[in-house]
Amino acid sequence: MKFVLAFVLLTIGFAGTVEAQKVFATRNGKISFIAPNDDDVKAVNNEVTSRIADNGQITFSMLIKGFRFKLAEMQDHFNDQYLQSMTFPRADFKGNITNLADVNFGKDGTYKVTVKGDLNMHGVTKNMSATGTIEIKGGKPIATAQFTLMLKDFNIEAKSVTDKVTVELNCQYQ
Amino acid sequence: MLGLIGASAVVYYVYNKPHRDVSKEKGVQLSAQNLYDAFRTNETEANKLYLDKAIELTGEVGNVSTNQDGKVVVDFKTNDPLVVINCTFKENPGNLQPGQTITFKGICTGFIPDANVVINEGVLVK
Repeated sequence: MKFVLAFVLLTIGFAGTVEAQKVFATRNGKISFIAPNDDDVKAVNNEVTSRIADNGQITFSMLIKGFRFKLAEMQDHFNDQYLQSMTFPRADFKGNITNLADVNFGKDGTYKVTVKGDLNMHGVTKNMSATGTIEIKGGKPIATAQFTLMLKDFNIEAKSVTDKVTVELNCQYQ
Repeated sequence: MLGLIGASAVVYYVYNKPHRDVSKEKGVQLSAQNLYDAFRTNETEANKLYLDKAIELTGEVGNVSTNQDGKVVVDFKTNDPLVVINCTFKENPGNLQPGQTITFKGICTGFIPDANVVINEGVLVK
């Protein structure tokens, strides 16, 4: 009897866990890097893998080789000289929505969020936070944000082009 | 004067260097599963072999979608339900259906654990 009860409780426990957390994902989110002083220097990555859970966890992973520039020569410089993408092929962010109580994943609407976490890029991990919005549309989230990264924080030397980049993020989840 | 000509040549070169065209390259022939196995077993080694290389994959189309900028994306399945080979076409390849066997050639941009190996700027070989 005790065994049966334990089994039932365990089953409910598992079902409860599955029910409690909903995860939305995309393999083709979009992140752009833009040099604030030069419109020509803009790179777009359309293969950003991201997951967002209704418990507030949020991850982004992007491959440096996946950033495409209008000018092929700039793309080569970005990969070979500034980001050393053969050595550091991927950038990863893992963090949390700090104002989760303001977001209702079950109700269509636009919610302002602050996300805090660790960004690893070019072999350097830095704690950072950014504000953005999560729009729930037809039950599915769209995350957007715009923020600035200082290149020296990630040990990236590209002074002849820029010392900072504007990051534009737009990820539509399934 | 020579300096000016030199500088002009550099500017001309920077603005006119063509993007890589994978259709003119010979690809490394692999199956989706082989490619994933290589990255799962040893990502560093797999990067040495495949990162930035032209890869020619033959396999069954798992899913067809379009990315946020309207480019066609095909996922090839692996034996791990979480992991696919995510392939983005440079030009629209026409009508593709899940279940169809195709050969795709593109440039490998790397591996995202528990998610996908990514290939982009691709073309349909057959």
